[in-house]
Amino acid sequence: MEDKMNIMVVDDERIVRESFAQWFRKSGHRAEAAASGSEAIEQLAKTPFDLLFVDIKMPGMNGIELLGKVKQEYPDTMVVIITAYGSIETAVQAMKAGAVDYLLKPFKPDQLSLVLEKVTQQKKLASEIQYVKGRLDQMTRFDNIIGQSKPMQDVFDLIPEVAQSDSTVLIQGETGTGKELVAKAIHAKSRRARLPFIAINCGAIPDTLLESELFGYQKGAFTGAERPRKGFFEVVSGGSLFLDEVGEISQKMQVDLLRVLEEKKITKIGDRFPIDVDFRLISATRRDLAQEVSEGTFREDLFYRLNVITITIPPLRKRREDIPLLVRHFLEKYSHQTTKRVDHLSKDAIQLLQNYDWPGNVRELENAVERGVVLSKTRTLSSGDFSFLRAAPAQVLRPRSLREVERDYVQGVLEESEWNVTRAAKILEINRVTLHKMIKRHQLTRP
Amino acid sequence: MNSGNKPIGVVPLGEVCELTVKSIAAHILGYFQLDALVLPPMEHPMYAYNERRHQYDAGAIITAMESLSFPQCDKIIGVMDLDLYIPIFVHVLGEARQGGGAALVSIYRLKPSSSPSQEGLNLQMERAAKVALHELGHLYDLHHCMDSLCLMHFSGGLEDLDQTPLYLCRYCSLYLRDALAIKKRRREGEE
Repeated sequence: MEDKMNIMVVDDERIVRESFAQWFRKSGHRAEAAASGSEAIEQLAKTPFDLLFVDIKMPGMNGIELLGKVKQEYPDTMVVIITAYGSIETAVQAMKAGAVDYLLKPFKPDQLSLVLEKVTQQKKLASEIQYVKGRLDQMTRFDNIIGQSKPMQDVFDLIPEVAQSDSTVLIQGETGTGKELVAKAIHAKSRRARLPFIAINCGAIPDTLLESELFGYQKGAFTGAERPRKGFFEVVSGGSLFLDEVGEISQKMQVDLLRVLEEKKITKIGDRFPIDVDFRLISATRRDLAQEVSEGTFREDLFYRLNVITITIPPLRKRREDIPLLVRHFLEKYSHQTTKRVDHLSKDAIQLLQNYDWPGNVRELENAVERGVVLSKTRTLSSGDFSFLRAAPAQVLRPRSLREVERDYVQGVLEESEWNVTRAAKILEINRVTLHKMIKRHQLTRP
Repeated sequence: MNSGNKPIGVVPLGEVCELTVKSIAAHILGYFQLDALVLPPMEHPMYAYNERRHQYDAGAIITAMESLSFPQCDKIIGVMDLDLYIPIFVHVLGEARQGGGAALVSIYRLKPSSSPSQEGLNLQMERAAKVALHELGHLYDLHHCMDSLCLMHFSGGLEDLDQTPLYLCRYCSLYLRDALAIKKRRREGEE
């Protein structure tokens, strides 16, 4: 048998469970049995099943109730309802509730064989759809920015508007917030969508190399320039150029970039004649460029050139309501990529992920989910699968009250001064009476 | 015997056409290259009769056969002329537990609908041999095969059964050969 399935038979009659399970094993399937709906739910939480054969009449949770729960929690699991007392009403009820078929006990052997064939076909179709969907998701990754929070909805609203214009865009946001995805989305929705999108991380390339990468060079322009090479300003020809970490570029490069933006011309290294270039510039930074302008480390004129339109992507800790949605997306993505069926998250895990500060933002969350999926031995990720996050320094950075900060700081100074109140008060630049009041207020005690 | 394994025991349960039993034994030797012994008949399995269904419980008979000792045989195939069932099916033509010690074949539903003739008897014997070999395949842990031109392809009814060949596909043949070789090695190791 080519398509082996994980099948569970849920029936309160032992003889029926065994009979089914033996027949499935003869066909090479893995078959398990459960005597009740609640036992079936327990097994489903531990192991993924492709197909359930569920008896309608069972003490406790009946078959239709179990079917409803399975369809709600595990929509990919197919259910066939079996019954000894069939009626058209129950058959219709079962099919409406999402059963893939309905069998009346006892049945002819070829009826069961036909049901299995039907289920196998549906499974094959579902996995084909999932594969195509995965491919499509990969192809349309630029649109794959996820969030239903207000700040993200504002970003989504801005993208199509910004895309229509040809102005330079500055995307601001902490590392890992998805600046490049937003840049790709702008490009994809712009009139330049059919032309190239080139992304360069300015922070990762040394200044001299960045210059030759952007401007290109003529043969013999420098040692090793054995043949002429076009720079990205030229290669992008009509498309969008994304300069990530633009705040990292040197003062010299700032001047060069400003000139290109003003003149829309470049001169290759080692060349004397400028050539026309046409591109839309989208840049991104995690730095506060306005602050850098006031400090004199970033050119004001370039800042205003880059900053015609600004999009600010909020850090993940400021849109915690998006975390479950993102986690679901990444679970689906990595379950698909690793072909491991890890598709659930326990309540305590959701709570942990929502409380964590995510200094690395969405990228860190994605990495955490990927790690969880790869290492998980069950289909449900629990808080234990994210225990590595607890040790992360970000936990210390959670928002704290002034009272907490004061208590910890005063305690630290006291310990440093070996609880010598006079010395500690001197360090804190307060008088001893005030320090005693603080010790009392915070109930600090000598270890 | 080519495999070096003990023979397969073919045992009639109640009244069964002797020729069919001998034909099954001959097919086991001819198609699986395993020796087969026709054993003395066992009593009619009245204990397995289900009054409500007017049929015999295949599972109960297999359990009873497996509880008996057949030291001279590797596996046992019971042959009967009674209508068999398992709880989920209206009837079965044969039954075996995957990797088990005993299997059953019923010729009750294998008889052609036309009036008795030599041709009809030949067809019945061929059908009985197919069911017996298929169930014996399960006893050696062979699964149902996707290949419709393989003895281990699942047959839902007589029409399917008549389309099924008496021989195994290449993969199932290899699997059977391996299963027999492993069994032989284990037995030799025990000795």
